[in-house]
Amino acid sequence: MPYKLLPIFKKELINNKYFIITFSDYEMADQCHPGQFFRLKNPQQNFPILPRPFSVNNIQDKQTSFLIKIVGESTKNLFETKIGENISLHGPLGNGFKIARNKKVLIVSGGIGYAPFPFLLKKLEKAKDEIVFFHGGKSSDDIFSANVINFTEDGSVGKKGLVTDGVEQFLQKNQVDIVYACGPQIMLKKLTEICKQFNVDLQVSLETIMACGIGVCCGCAIRIVENGKMVYKKVCKDGPVFDGYTVVWDE
Amino acid sequence: MADLRIKIGKMLWKNPVTVASGTFGLEFAELFDLSKLGAIVTKTITLLPKPGNEPPRLAETEAGLLNSIGLQNPGLENFIKNDLPEYQKFDTNIIVSISGSSITEFSKVIKNLDKQPNIDGYEINISCPNVENEGIAFGIDKGIVYNLISHLRKITERTIIVKLTPNVTSIEEIAKAAEKGGADVLSLINTVYGMAIDIETRKSKTKNVIAGYSGIGIKPIAIQNVFRVAKVVKIPIIGMGGIRNISDALEFIIAGSSAIAVGTQNFVNPFATLDIIQGLEKYLNEQKIHYHDLIGSVR
Repeated sequence: MPYKLLPIFKKELINNKYFIITFSDYEMADQCHPGQFFRLKNPQQNFPILPRPFSVNNIQDKQTSFLIKIVGESTKNLFETKIGENISLHGPLGNGFKIARNKKVLIVSGGIGYAPFPFLLKKLEKAKDEIVFFHGGKSSDDIFSANVINFTEDGSVGKKGLVTDGVEQFLQKNQVDIVYACGPQIMLKKLTEICKQFNVDLQVSLETIMACGIGVCCGCAIRIVENGKMVYKKVCKDGPVFDGYTVVWDE
Repeated sequence: MADLRIKIGKMLWKNPVTVASGTFGLEFAELFDLSKLGAIVTKTITLLPKPGNEPPRLAETEAGLLNSIGLQNPGLENFIKNDLPEYQKFDTNIIVSISGSSITEFSKVIKNLDKQPNIDGYEINISCPNVENEGIAFGIDKGIVYNLISHLRKITERTIIVKLTPNVTSIEEIAKAAEKGGADVLSLINTVYGMAIDIETRKSKTKNVIAGYSGIGIKPIAIQNVFRVAKVVKIPIIGMGGIRNISDALEFIIAGSSAIAVGTQNFVNPFATLDIIQGLEKYLNEQKIHYHDLIGSVR
């Protein structure tokens, strides 16, 4: 996985919570697989120290973009960095989603968990999958596309309620082979229960605090059940995509 | 070109730059040629595999990083089988970091590793703050340090490096005990005890509550420890604690380090070690000083 300094090619504000940052680099764009991530940092910014992990949002015309939610100093700094200024990019890292072929697929995202799916969607379309995309957010600010089935908690856009309730209703009437999901832990935990109930495969992309990004430091450990035994796996190297059934969710 | 070669214990390093145990691994070989380093220090190995501590294991603070990894490692047997042959491919000194919960355990690990070729030294980790009754339990008592090191000294001819914790009343006493026990080199500092709290949940940000603090925030603490230890021992010191760049590294060398190690910064700039090697050559040329004359030259 290369480590590059690249100038920001494009920056697109979605609203006061989210923006998309784009880099133009052929080599980088060719290497990416949906669900993989990069560690981004403005090298001029000393603090916070660690680069932050962001999954690839989309690849278009050899340009690689990241959808970022402004939550703290690092993301604020990335947002404030000007077009043409350099950002360090380390990646692509991690395993990414397994692409199903000729299947009935359901994508489920919550909030910034939408990030990896535009890129996955492209690959799934190429793999001739039949795709339904559910996305949930707190309000209209958390909605990214009118072309997916949206849910908001305040009812400002799409259907009112939780995306997981929508998924449950959908699975009662429709047969689905595989669910791809990314979002808050509480959503993924609920989704795991639903998928088990309907016996649907589930791939989840997880997020943790991370230091090295390449499996060295063991800082991003999560609990996974493997052969009936609880073991620690690294989100950065063994993931970030895991079989949802194997994840031991936090209480 | 400046001569950066230096003798560290029984080893000859091509330059005085290495990495702090636990922050570096074979994975970095995808980014640069590890043979460029003076030495590579592995993650800490224990006799049996260790699963590590319960997550969350990391928390970033204003000026550093808290970790409570808990020495997660595949154990001696797997290390010898899978990792060691890969390390041995690089043209540099290979130092295996070791921890254990008893003198017998440390001895077993070293006896086994001594049968393996191309290991140049052992770093005895008696200072990890994240494992109970292990590591740090040895590193805070000068009598125990002396017993452990003098015992290990009888087992191996290879360079013994003792890694010291700053979490003691007198690091000089521990350093002297290690030297008296037969250590060839000292490395310091390991992480400083630290803690951060989530004010919403009122829980510690790391599951293990108290963690090890590293990064730029500990640099002044590390430098004064190096300075104090350098005054009381004759053996070389590998200095570390918050080193990010050449000027940080120079401070450690001037304070009394014969070599330096980069830790947390490997996660930020994986080429920090290479930048420091280059920077050191430039500095020595500009200042027209020999590397050996720079060590401990604080006025």
